[in-house]
Amino acid sequence: MSKLSEAIASFCEKYALLNKSAVVAENIVKKPVFGCQDCGQCVLSHDAFTCPMRCPKQIRNGPCGGTREKGFCEVYPDRRCIWWLINERSKKMGRQGKLRKYHIPVDRRLERTSAWLNMFAGRILPMDLGKELKEVELIKKDPPPMR
Amino acid sequence: MSNFERLLNQGEFVVCGEMGPPQSADKAAIIRKCDYFRGVVDAVNLTDNQTAIVRMSSIMASVFVVEGGLEPIMQMTCRDRNRLALQSDILGAYAAGIENILCLTGDYQTFGNHPEAKGVFDLDSVQLIHTLREMNEGRFLSGDEIKAPPKMFIGGAANPFAEPLDLRIIRLGKKIRAGANFIQTQPVFDFVKFDKWIKAVRDEGYDQQVHIIAGVMPVKSVKALEYMRESVPGMSIADEYISRMKSAADPKEEGVAICVETIKRLHKTQGVKGVHIMPVLWESITPRIVEEAELLPRPILTSPHQEEVEVQ
Repeated sequence: MSKLSEAIASFCEKYALLNKSAVVAENIVKKPVFGCQDCGQCVLSHDAFTCPMRCPKQIRNGPCGGTREKGFCEVYPDRRCIWWLINERSKKMGRQGKLRKYHIPVDRRLERTSAWLNMFAGRILPMDLGKELKEVELIKKDPPPMR
Repeated sequence: MSNFERLLNQGEFVVCGEMGPPQSADKAAIIRKCDYFRGVVDAVNLTDNQTAIVRMSSIMASVFVVEGGLEPIMQMTCRDRNRLALQSDILGAYAAGIENILCLTGDYQTFGNHPEAKGVFDLDSVQLIHTLREMNEGRFLSGDEIKAPPKMFIGGAANPFAEPLDLRIIRLGKKIRAGANFIQTQPVFDFVKFDKWIKAVRDEGYDQQVHIIAGVMPVKSVKALEYMRESVPGMSIADEYISRMKSAADPKEEGVAICVETIKRLHKTQGVKGVHIMPVLWESITPRIVEEAELLPRPILTSPHQEEVEVQ
């Protein structure tokens, strides 16, 4: 991300109220629409806007070996396997190639922080709206200030 | 380098066995079971609390298997440990003489005998494979240096039978790029699906980049097959086997016959580098199956562990 976005992120993170509002605003959008689990390191744009953290095993590089017939979840047989959904939707959007990306382990320090601010700060992968896989280096490794 | 790795690199068709550690502190039970496998298989998988039922740890069971003169493939799941525990267990395991590891995400805890437990799932299996490769190269996941790094032979699992097939091939590619050296599959009871899968694997060239070891399972009764079909998610069992087991006069014999046939067919399948025999609670049948599948004698073990045992 750019210098400007980094400045925005560090400004918002300096003030608890701004920081909190970013989290709340993000939750209002993402919770009802995507079933956001508040991991703070959003990969929605890589996974056809279907959140992999909704998987009972929270697999970021799925699916596990237990998907039932017709793509139902091993743990909750009445739900679809999240990775089955991601695959179907990615195919429809012509973005299946992006599923080849290896996703690094979740940084648990970012849980319940704003993924938008984390993205602006360069802590997590930027939103990737293209159809093809793009490799990006993360610039910042330190966590956001304490909540 | 483990003997198992050496054999695969030489192009031998390998045979793996499988042993479930006891639900007790009985070391003798493991040593006793080693007798079934000695000279019959090249390595033995030691399951890690499979189906989320508490058993002796796969690490200690693997250590006892080394003592018993066999080469273990230690299974390790992400269900019970976070990234600190995983890495420290890997260091300890390698120091104890365990050189093969199979990385799994793990069965969900509600299927086991402690359904109220917290599942950890800090990493997934692909990330665990990546962690192992990093450790082999002398780095912890944090980037810190490991002075005396392990040199594990890294395995992953693949399920050729569950949907969605295309994504499973993509995920297999991820596992290979993350650092997997060998892949073990679910037991084969459906050649229509398996042939389709192995063809897709060959088309991507993955069979050249990783050693594919296909699973087989001898069953004692038609009930076992029906149970797997009904209750094990992601398993596929062809009707042919169910009807054969049902009409057999001696189901145990038929189970062995089916298993031997499956192995022979897999041996001829291009891209398959070995078989993994996983008799659940029926380890004693392994020697007979390997013999009837004409895979004896096994190439002679040359690992230092074996020499020690012989000297004693």
